[in-house]
Amino acid sequence: MIAAVNQRANGPGAGRAQIAFSGVTLNLGGKAILENISLDVKPGEFLCIIGASGCGKTTALRLAAGLYQPTSGTVAFDGKPMLAPRRDIAIVFQDYGKALLPWRTAFGNVSLALEASGMAASQRAARIDELLKKVGLPNHAGKYPAEMSGGMQQRLQIARCLAQEPKALLMDEPFGALDAMTRQGLQDEVLSLVRASDATVVFVTHDLEEAIYLGDRVIGLLPHPGRIGIELKIDLPRPRDQLTTRENPEFLRLRRELFDFIKASEA
Amino acid sequence: MNRAVLYWRAASFAVAAGFVGLWQLIADQRLVSPVFLPGPDRAWASLVRGFASGDLLDKLLGTLEHMAYGWFVASIAGIALGAMIGSSRTMRSYVAPSLEFLRPLPVSAVIPVAIAMFGLTQSMALFVIAFGAIWPMLLATIHGFAAVEPRLYEVARSLHMSRLAIIFKIALPSASPDILAGMRLSVTVALILSVVCEILAGLDGLGHWVLLSARAFRSADLFAGVILLGVIGYLTALAMSVVEKRLLKWRSSGH
Repeated sequence: MIAAVNQRANGPGAGRAQIAFSGVTLNLGGKAILENISLDVKPGEFLCIIGASGCGKTTALRLAAGLYQPTSGTVAFDGKPMLAPRRDIAIVFQDYGKALLPWRTAFGNVSLALEASGMAASQRAARIDELLKKVGLPNHAGKYPAEMSGGMQQRLQIARCLAQEPKALLMDEPFGALDAMTRQGLQDEVLSLVRASDATVVFVTHDLEEAIYLGDRVIGLLPHPGRIGIELKIDLPRPRDQLTTRENPEFLRLRRELFDFIKASEA
Repeated sequence: MNRAVLYWRAASFAVAAGFVGLWQLIADQRLVSPVFLPGPDRAWASLVRGFASGDLLDKLLGTLEHMAYGWFVASIAGIALGAMIGSSRTMRSYVAPSLEFLRPLPVSAVIPVAIAMFGLTQSMALFVIAFGAIWPMLLATIHGFAAVEPRLYEVARSLHMSRLAIIFKIALPSASPDILAGMRLSVTVALILSVVCEILAGLDGLGHWVLLSARAFRSADLFAGVILLGVIGYLTALAMSVVEKRLLKWRSSGH
């Protein structure tokens, strides 16, 4: 049984949507990837998207980023239609190894975003040091990505995204390739970074617990074609804690509900 | 430097010294007539004499000049064309078949065409050297630009980078390992073709010097020229690999 629970993150009518999908359908190569997705993400909300592999989670994120255009329906950001990527929407890709410039040091990789925004060279150094410190890489400015661990490379990518001073942070299974300990550490760091920046987050993951742990709201997609199958409001207290939050009976109940949803969607 | 490296250096040096020793032995025993084969001692004496009189230095500079101009023109043209073709899928599919036809064409077949067009002149040499040296660079650059990680273009789009910034900050550095490998191959091709052009067109350079020495049975001078050509080849390859190592430091630093 799939129970679609329609709840708003901050109650009905609490401010305008920052990211708004209305009736979005996307066909690629004659195949429907996403069908009739309508979705509002409020400013400052942390939305997680889960679903079985191939359900179009990443595609939905790319639509929000402006990297794809919908076949029908509209994607809007701050009330304006998204026709191209925006500098104030940052994307954290899963494959950090491909998204970083291997010929630039950690310092140079963060610098790329500042150069693109036209910041004067004299102001960059201090800002880069500050950003590297924020993601826990203050002593690695001179290292090349190849000299860094996966977790460090992903932190570096996050630092570059923060350099864009994004209003929205779109994260595509950012911790999928990392080991469990590193992943938990980064989850907490992302939560505190987001809290400090007030950015809206859309976070795609296949890890149900990760979605519940991080999100204000979790949306589950059904595959072939991708459409919204479940929507859960996560009312767990913040700040969240790796031990107590995950032991909370509400956490376990939500986990059960999402687990059943995924199982039913794959059947 | 660790012991293994030291050992291999010593071993390779010993092999080279062994060859020179063998050469000296063959020459001393007159196994080959001294008219055709001078010993390393006579070749060395000729080298010293040539440099003392300034003759050989002029020829050396002549060859270096032909090589450098041709290689430089080929580099600029090869990288610019390669970047244009490599960064566009449409261009690639239009141009690739023609390239596949031109590429295996022996450059020696182009020399008569160049002579017909330019005569036995410096321009002919420049054209032939550049034409021959452009291929490794052009193909490597096309490959390098075609193989840029698409993810990086998405990063560039979301940062609203300009076209120029994308070329210089993403595509060019990403293609640089291929481009440098192409440049290293081209420098050798440029040396070969410089000598060929000097021989054919009688242009001032080591090729011409080698030809005249051979015709006059001045075997020591002939060998002095050949040794110098070998040294040029070795040093330019060495210089290129030093430059490559420096520029591509980011690649070797991984674990």
